[in-house]
Amino acid sequence: MAKELLSLENGTTCSSWNYSSTRLAAGSVDGTFSIFDFHDPPSSSSLTSTFKSKVHEGNIVKIVWVPPEYGDAVACISADGIVSLLEEIVEDSQPLQWKICKTFRSNASKVLDVQFGISSTRLKMVAAYSDGHVRIFELLDPLELRSWQLQAEFQNVIESVSSFGKAVCLSASISLNPQKGQESSFIVGFNSNTPELNSSKVWEFDQAHQRWLPVAELALPEDKGDQVYAVAWAPNIGRPYEIIAVATHKGLSIWHLGLNPDHNGRLPVERVALLSGHQGMVWQMEWDMSGMTLATTGNDGMVRLWQSNLNGVWHQQAAFEPTS
Amino acid sequence: MSPNTVGNGALIPFSGDTTDSLAVYPLHHDLARPISRLAISWSRGNSLRVSLFAEPSVNPNTGDGAKVVEVKLGGGDPEITDADWRRIAYGSVAPFALLQSRRSSLSELSKSPSPYHLDWWEHVLQYSKDITSLLGGPKLSPSLIIEDPNEIVQKNEEPTCLKAAWELMEIFYVDKQSQAWLPERLVDWLADYDSLFTSTQETIHGKLVDFQNDLVNIQVIEDDPRYWEVMSSALSVGWLDIVVKMLRLHGSYQLDQLSNRELENGLVEAVAVLISKMPRLRPESVVGNLGECFKSKPDFIKAWEKWRSQITKLDCSPFWIQCDNQQTREGLRDLLQVMLGNTESLCTASCYWIELYVSHFLYIRPFTIGIESMYNLAQKCIQLKPPTGTHRLTELMIGILEENTEVVLAEISREFGPWMIAHAVELLTAGSEQAEILLHDERDNLGGISIVELHRLAYAQILSSHTLTWQIAPIYLTSCMKQGMGLLENLLYRQSVQHKNTLLKNIEICRLYELDHISSNIMKVAGVYHWKHGRKGAGVYWLQQSQDTSCLDRIAQQLFDSVGKSISDESFKQWEGIIELLGSESKPAGGLEFLHKYRDFKKSLQMVYSGKSTDAARQAVGSLIMLMKNPSTPQRFWLPLLYDSLKLLNWKDSPLLSVSETNLLLNKLQELSLARQRPHFTEPSLPPQAPSSIRLALATNLGRAILDE
Repeated sequence: MAKELLSLENGTTCSSWNYSSTRLAAGSVDGTFSIFDFHDPPSSSSLTSTFKSKVHEGNIVKIVWVPPEYGDAVACISADGIVSLLEEIVEDSQPLQWKICKTFRSNASKVLDVQFGISSTRLKMVAAYSDGHVRIFELLDPLELRSWQLQAEFQNVIESVSSFGKAVCLSASISLNPQKGQESSFIVGFNSNTPELNSSKVWEFDQAHQRWLPVAELALPEDKGDQVYAVAWAPNIGRPYEIIAVATHKGLSIWHLGLNPDHNGRLPVERVALLSGHQGMVWQMEWDMSGMTLATTGNDGMVRLWQSNLNGVWHQQAAFEPTS
Repeated sequence: MSPNTVGNGALIPFSGDTTDSLAVYPLHHDLARPISRLAISWSRGNSLRVSLFAEPSVNPNTGDGAKVVEVKLGGGDPEITDADWRRIAYGSVAPFALLQSRRSSLSELSKSPSPYHLDWWEHVLQYSKDITSLLGGPKLSPSLIIEDPNEIVQKNEEPTCLKAAWELMEIFYVDKQSQAWLPERLVDWLADYDSLFTSTQETIHGKLVDFQNDLVNIQVIEDDPRYWEVMSSALSVGWLDIVVKMLRLHGSYQLDQLSNRELENGLVEAVAVLISKMPRLRPESVVGNLGECFKSKPDFIKAWEKWRSQITKLDCSPFWIQCDNQQTREGLRDLLQVMLGNTESLCTASCYWIELYVSHFLYIRPFTIGIESMYNLAQKCIQLKPPTGTHRLTELMIGILEENTEVVLAEISREFGPWMIAHAVELLTAGSEQAEILLHDERDNLGGISIVELHRLAYAQILSSHTLTWQIAPIYLTSCMKQGMGLLENLLYRQSVQHKNTLLKNIEICRLYELDHISSNIMKVAGVYHWKHGRKGAGVYWLQQSQDTSCLDRIAQQLFDSVGKSISDESFKQWEGIIELLGSESKPAGGLEFLHKYRDFKKSLQMVYSGKSTDAARQAVGSLIMLMKNPSTPQRFWLPLLYDSLKLLNWKDSPLLSVSETNLLLNKLQELSLARQRPHFTEPSLPPQAPSSIRLALATNLGRAILDE
C-alpha cells in the first residue's frame, strides 16, 4: 500500500510538496536546498533532482511554498531564524534557476514559522517570531517577490494593552484560513514561557479600521497557558462552520469555529473532541483537501489519521508505523 | 443509530479490519539509521506522502538520509486488480449520470422531493443491470464444443464477491417484479456464487468440484458413497441439471448392464424424471434448465401437490424391495427425502447456513412470498449450521434480511469500499421510504450533508488520487448538492498547470460547471508560471485569459521601464511581440497606446537605418511628431525619442521637419530642462552631450526649414 517515491541524501532535514504535489523541495542540515520534479506528471512516478545548491549557512528547518499565483517560490526557514525567499525564474537572459529574491531577518528575534495567504488579490506572509510577535508582510508587486511591506505587527494576545517583552518562544505554528477569495484570517499558537502568548488565537483583518483583531481563542479557560505544538485550519468545502485542529501536551483538540460573530465581534467556538495519540510533541498536522481527514505526526514517530464518524464523533482511524 | 450497529461508522473505510482495535499499518523503508523526524503532505484525494528523515550522520557513507513514500488510503477490494477497478470506475459513470439526470427530471415533473412513488425502481433496475454487466469477472475459456459427459460443474466466468453483493442488493431492493419469486432468485444467486464461500467454509460447490476431480479414478460410480452424498447436496439447493446429469452417470445406464439392471435403472430414471419435473414458482427458467415453471401461485400449488404425491407414491412403491443394489436404493431414497422436505436430510445435505436456508425455500416452505419472516428462518438456519468463519457476503445478507439499512451500509462500506457504497445507495433507497429518509437526510453531525453525499465525496476522493481517474471525479462531485462544488474547486486548484493538456482539461471542466473564478485563477497560475519561466508570450496570453489586470498592468509598466531604459534593437525585438499580445486591453493611463505608436516609430526608424529612402524617413518623422504630441507619452521618453531621431533631424537631402514641428520639439526640449530642476526627475541613461546635440540638430533643421518655406 506504500510506494517509495524518492531517496534523499544524508543530512536532509525537511521537505515540502508544492500545491499540485508535483514538485518536492528539500532542505539540509548544511543549508543545501534541492528541488525534485516528476519527469512527466501525467504518467510517470519517478522524481529527478532538477536543482541543488547551498543557499544558507545554517540548517534549513522548514520549507513553505508560496501560492502558485505568485510563481514557483518557497520560503526557507533556517535554524538561526532567517527566512529566505527563493524563486525559480529566468532573468536577464540567464537560464532558469532558483535564486534568493528576499531575506527576512530580525536582529532581536528569530522567525519560527511563516505561512502565505492571498487576500483581496494581495499576497500576505504571516511570520511568527521567537519574541512572541507576529508580523504580516504584504507583497507590493504581484510579479516581483522582492518588494514587501510590513503591514502589521502584534503579539498573540487578546488584550492588546499588555506587552510581553521578555517572551522566549521555542516554536510557533501558523495556519491560514485555506478559503480563497476572502479577507484573510489565520490562527497562530506559540510554545513559549509566557502563558498569555501560547493559546492559539484566530486573527481577522478588520477592513473598516485596517487592523488585525483577535476574533477567537481556541482554548478552554483552564488550558489557556498550555504550550501549543501545532495548529491546522481545515479546508471548508461547504460546512456552516470552520474546523481547526490544535495540538498541545494535553492532546489533539478539534474545534468548531462559528461563522457569525457576536456583538463583541467574537466568533463562537466549541471544542468537539480532545484526542490522545502521540504522547508528547506533535510535529505536524495536515488536513486532506476535503477537510474530513486529519493526518498528524509526532514524537512517537507515528503517522496517525483522524476522522469523524457518522455521529460526528472524532476518533483515530488508522496509524502508520515506520519499519525498516 | 448507535455506533455499535454501524461498525465504526468510518467515513473513508481503509482496507483491513478497523472495527475494534486501531489499525496500525507498517510503513516500510530501508533507512539504516533510526528515524528522527517525519513530514506529511496530502496529495490530491486520499493519497498521503510521508517523508522519513534519518538522524544525520557525520559519516557520509551511511546510506540515504531520507525516504519519501506515498500511501493510498481506502484502496478498495483486493479481489479486483487496479486496472479492473479503473474499468469499473469508468464504466459506471454513464449509468450513474443517467440515473441522476432521470432523478432530477422526475422530481422537476412531479414537483415532489421524492420521486420514489412512481415507477422509479424500473430506472434503478436498468441502472443496476448496467452496473452488473461491468462487474463480471474475467471470462473463462468457453466450454468444449463436444460436451464432456463427465463435466458436472460448468463456469462461464470467475465469480466475484463484488458482483455477488451487488446482485444480492438488486434482488432485495430493486427488482419489484420478481418480489413474488424472491426465494427462487436466491436459489439462482446461490448457484452463481456458492463457490465464493469456499474460501471460509466447506460448500456444496466445493464438494462437487472435488468429486469431479476424482471422477476419472472411480470405477463403479454408484458404489462410491460420495456420489450419492454430492447428489443429495446439489439437489437440496436446487441444482436440478447437475443432479440429473449425475444420475445419468449411474452404471445401470451402460448398454452392457441395462438388461441385468432393468429395475434398478427404472428407479434411477424415475427419480431423474421427478427431479426434472419439479415445479418452480418463477416466470421462466434459464434456457435449458430443468424444472417446470409456474407464474401464478395457484397453478404452482396444484402442480406442487401433484408432484409431491408422485414422490410419495414412488417412495412407497414395492419396487424398492426388488432393487438389489443397496447403494442405489439408499441413495435414491435419500434424494426422495430431500424432495419431500425432510429437515434432517436437508440439514445433512447442506454445508452451511445459506445453503440450508435456500433448501428450506425449495422443499419446506415453497409457498413463501416476499421478505416476511425470512429473517427468522435465517436465524433458525444459522442455529442449525453455526458459521465456522465470517464471510463478507453472509454479513451483508444478514443485514439485508433483518432489514437494517445501517448494517447493510456499514457492511458494504467496510467490505467493498467507496465505489460500492457510492453506487449501491441508489439500490438501497429504491426499495424503501425509510432508507430514503435515512440516507438523504441532511445531518448536522456531518456538516450539513446527507450520508449519500458523504459517500459520494469519499468516492470522489479515491478517484481524485489517481491521474487516470481524476477526470471522472467531477461527475460525482456535481451530484453532491452541498459540498461537491467546494471539493471540486479544491481538486481543480491542485492540478498542475505545467502541462498544457492537463491545463486545457482543467479549464474545460471549469467551463462545463461554470466555475469561472476557478478557471480564471488557474489561468493566472499558468500565466505567472510561464512569465517567470521566460516564456513571456505564453505568460501574457494566459494572464489575459484570466483577465488579471493587476499583473497585466505590471507587465505594461515593466515594458515602459525597459523600453525607456534602452533603445537597443535587441531588447526592443524581445518586447515587440509582447506589446502586440497585450493589445489595448490593459490600460495603464493609455500607456499601451503609446507603446503601439512607439513600436511604429521604431519600425520606420529601422527602415531608415537599413536603406536611405526619404519616404521612410518622412514616415518616421510623422510617427515621432505623433508621439511627441500625444499627452500619454511619458516625459521620460522624450529625450531618448529625440536622441534616436538625430539622423532624421540631420537629414542630408532636405529638412524633414516643418518650422512648426521643429518648434514643437524645441519646446519639449525646453520643458525637459525645466523638469530636470524638479525633484524625482529620473535622468535617462544617455550620453551627457545628448541634449546639446539634439538642440543643435533642431536648430540646424529649423534654419533649413525656414529657408525652404
